[in-house]
Amino acid sequence: MQKQTRSEVLERFRQGFLGRHQSCAEWKNKGRGVIGCFYGLVPREVIHAAGLLPVQLTEERDGRLEEKAGLLPFLCGMSKNITGQIYEGRYDYLDGILVGAVCDTNRHVLDIWAHRKVVPYLRLLRTPSTANPAAWSFYAADLRRLAEELGRMGGQRVTEQRLWESIGLYNENRSLMEKFRHSRQALGISAEDALYVFASSLVMPVEEHNSLLRSLLEGPAQAPGSASGTPGVLVSAMNLNMALDLIRLVEEYGGQVVADDLSHSARYGLSKIALEGEPFLALAKGYLRRVPTPGIYSFQERAEDLAEQMRLSGARGLIYLVQLYCDAFAMEYAILKERFDLWGIPHMRLEAEDNPASLQQLNVRVQSFLESLV
Amino acid sequence: MEESPSKEQTPDLKSMLKKLSAGASYRRMLAAREQGKPICVASAAVPVEVLYAMDVYPVFPESLAAIAAGIRKAEEFFEAAREKGFSNSVCSYTRCGLGIAWTQKSAFGPIPEPDLFITDVSVCCLHVTWWAYLEDHFKKPTFYMDMPATDDPWDPDYVAYYEEQIRAMVRFIEENTSSRLSMEKLKEAVRNSDLAGLYWKKILELRQDRPSPVSFRSLAGEILPLVTALGDKDCADFYWALYESYKQQASQGYCPAQGGERFRLIWNGIPIWHHLQVITYFEEKGANFVWEPYTALSWGNKTPSGRLDAENPFHTLAEKYTNVLTNMPLERRFGYFDQAIRDYKVDGLVMFSNRSCRPQSIGQDEVVEMVRDAHGLPVLIFEGDQADAEGFSMQEAKTRIDGFLEVLEGRKRS
Ligand code: SF4
Ligand code: SF4
Repeated sequence: MQKQTRSEVLERFRQGFLGRHQSCAEWKNKGRGVIGCFYGLVPREVIHAAGLLPVQLTEERDGRLEEKAGLLPFLCGMSKNITGQIYEGRYDYLDGILVGAVCDTNRHVLDIWAHRKVVPYLRLLRTPSTANPAAWSFYAADLRRLAEELGRMGGQRVTEQRLWESIGLYNENRSLMEKFRHSRQALGISAEDALYVFASSLVMPVEEHNSLLRSLLEGPAQAPGSASGTPGVLVSAMNLNMALDLIRLVEEYGGQVVADDLSHSARYGLSKIALEGEPFLALAKGYLRRVPTPGIYSFQERAEDLAEQMRLSGARGLIYLVQLYCDAFAMEYAILKERFDLWGIPHMRLEAEDNPASLQQLNVRVQSFLESLV
Repeated sequence: MEESPSKEQTPDLKSMLKKLSAGASYRRMLAAREQGKPICVASAAVPVEVLYAMDVYPVFPESLAAIAAGIRKAEEFFEAAREKGFSNSVCSYTRCGLGIAWTQKSAFGPIPEPDLFITDVSVCCLHVTWWAYLEDHFKKPTFYMDMPATDDPWDPDYVAYYEEQIRAMVRFIEENTSSRLSMEKLKEAVRNSDLAGLYWKKILELRQDRPSPVSFRSLAGEILPLVTALGDKDCADFYWALYESYKQQASQGYCPAQGGERFRLIWNGIPIWHHLQVITYFEEKGANFVWEPYTALSWGNKTPSGRLDAENPFHTLAEKYTNVLTNMPLERRFGYFDQAIRDYKVDGLVMFSNRSCRPQSIGQDEVVEMVRDAHGLPVLIFEGDQADAEGFSMQEAKTRIDGFLEVLEGRKRS
């Protein structure tokens, strides 16, 4: 097979994300099942081991979707957008949805989906907030039940061996993403392209994503494109479209996004599953309090990780973008802020809605922040 | 089993309530500190009976926030939260509670430095993040009563997991303080809690009478000991006395609604602490609240039997505290409304769509839809916040209530 150029590989990441509904529908047409994951606390390994495709539910920019959802006005745009997509039939290929509670909104929007019977199979994971032997074994038991249910659905029993194989694949993905995170500047990859590398990891088959990542990382290093006077920033955001708008806004005002912290609570590159013991227990230990999620992950570790990313990327400031009415990450910001202030990290919180105009209104703040970093 | 805690005494309700008032709790907390007893900042659904039995003095930031909002003294705490970078989208109890923690001030005076933090994880995710912040910021031993998200809180495995959490909480307190658990004291605390819950339930049942002798406005204040003082014999005595008093009022045909009870209503949601006059306004207009999930399903003996088994304290408390309404599917929640509408002969619903409390508000519209389909009752929906008065207009509320009551009136006539 002919080697792809870097831009071709990057385009495949981009298309992998943007064309997710179509590729999932194709997957489904081949007689294979697809399971939606409402955020990063859902262990995809179990879904994968059952022969199903795990796909994270992600926002799609279309103003009509929020209205379509008919949810309460004070709920985040993310929950409305995803609900709107479901109601509009954009997720009709899903065989089921798994919800791992990250916040009260994502946990309780499930109640409405269940009431409206939006998918044949809807399940709330019983994820403890603590990490100790009792919590691990409680969670492992829930995952075993989940594996049985998914195994029946996918027609493939989740054996220990299959689960270890899936864990191995996702661990590899975590390692490659980690490597990518550290080398993206040296590879000369733009912030926008980097966003698609991350976003596609949420929706693509892991084997394909791993293979694309390997091709990307194999390529030659390039000189970073930044001019020395350009202030580099780290952008932390939940909503991918909003992150994209912010990247463009920063660039418009002469800044550069040199590192990102994008997530749906799925900054899952941070933590690999230890390959020891029994696989469900290993997963429990790898997930409980190991996925950066407000309140159930050490604030110290989270702040240190951000500070370390800034150090490695040379970012001079941090922009923490919160979607309006996202109380979970609004609260995380306020808590991390204490450390950023203490450590002298220039930072700024932006709170906006998922439409370009909303962020544009904050352009003066972005501009002044960047100027303060020069 | 049914017993009154002190039948031989004539209930002196006023002095009993005085002993259990928020001000009295505050003075008891100061006394506890002087006696060297541990003070614990606890979230509202921690098994308080255990704390009582272990002589740990609990401070409940949510109650303090509600009180601060009730006397319109919460603004300075919200301001402190804003200054620290907390967005207004974070629950007002959390913002106000943190304001109280930073300033160590309350409506009654300064709060002594606590020794422990304990939270439950059942009611909302903020109960985790909020206490995680307290742990992180104030660096005190913190315990998380783990209760993972579920939509099947009755599952025996789930209840068993929580039962183990209660035992772990006891170990945590013993490891971090000089308090030791006496099983006898725990059983006694559970017995007292059971009686308080029993009489609370009886009070609520009196509201099936026509007219109902109970004012929701009064209940909103009288519920406090059920949140903060369970385990205490005074608390059980108080609810017995309160029941006796309401029973007497019922026999005299007393009704809090002025001009007689024209409409019987359900209130869904936490009371609007900063504008409890909203409830009074209903009562002035002849409308009486007769059932609320907040009073009927959130507190008291929430076990399947409606009683607590003092001989099995850990298990009974686990059954009680895992029974969380918002962890139930919407159909099940509607089931409670359906039953109450029949039992309490309800004419209409008032839903408080509370922007702070997502667990309570999400799904409310769907329940309303089910109620409308099943009973065709008129529904009034208020939007607002339980503790933050920003954006709330009493005048607007009155206009909407007037319109709603006209609809009810029209239905009565037709
Ligand atoms: S984490 Fe934030 S954006 Fe996501 S569902 Fe919760 S509130 Fe919404
Ligand atoms: S969100 Fe609701 S349950 Fe949670 S602290 Fe606020 S009012 Fe209480």
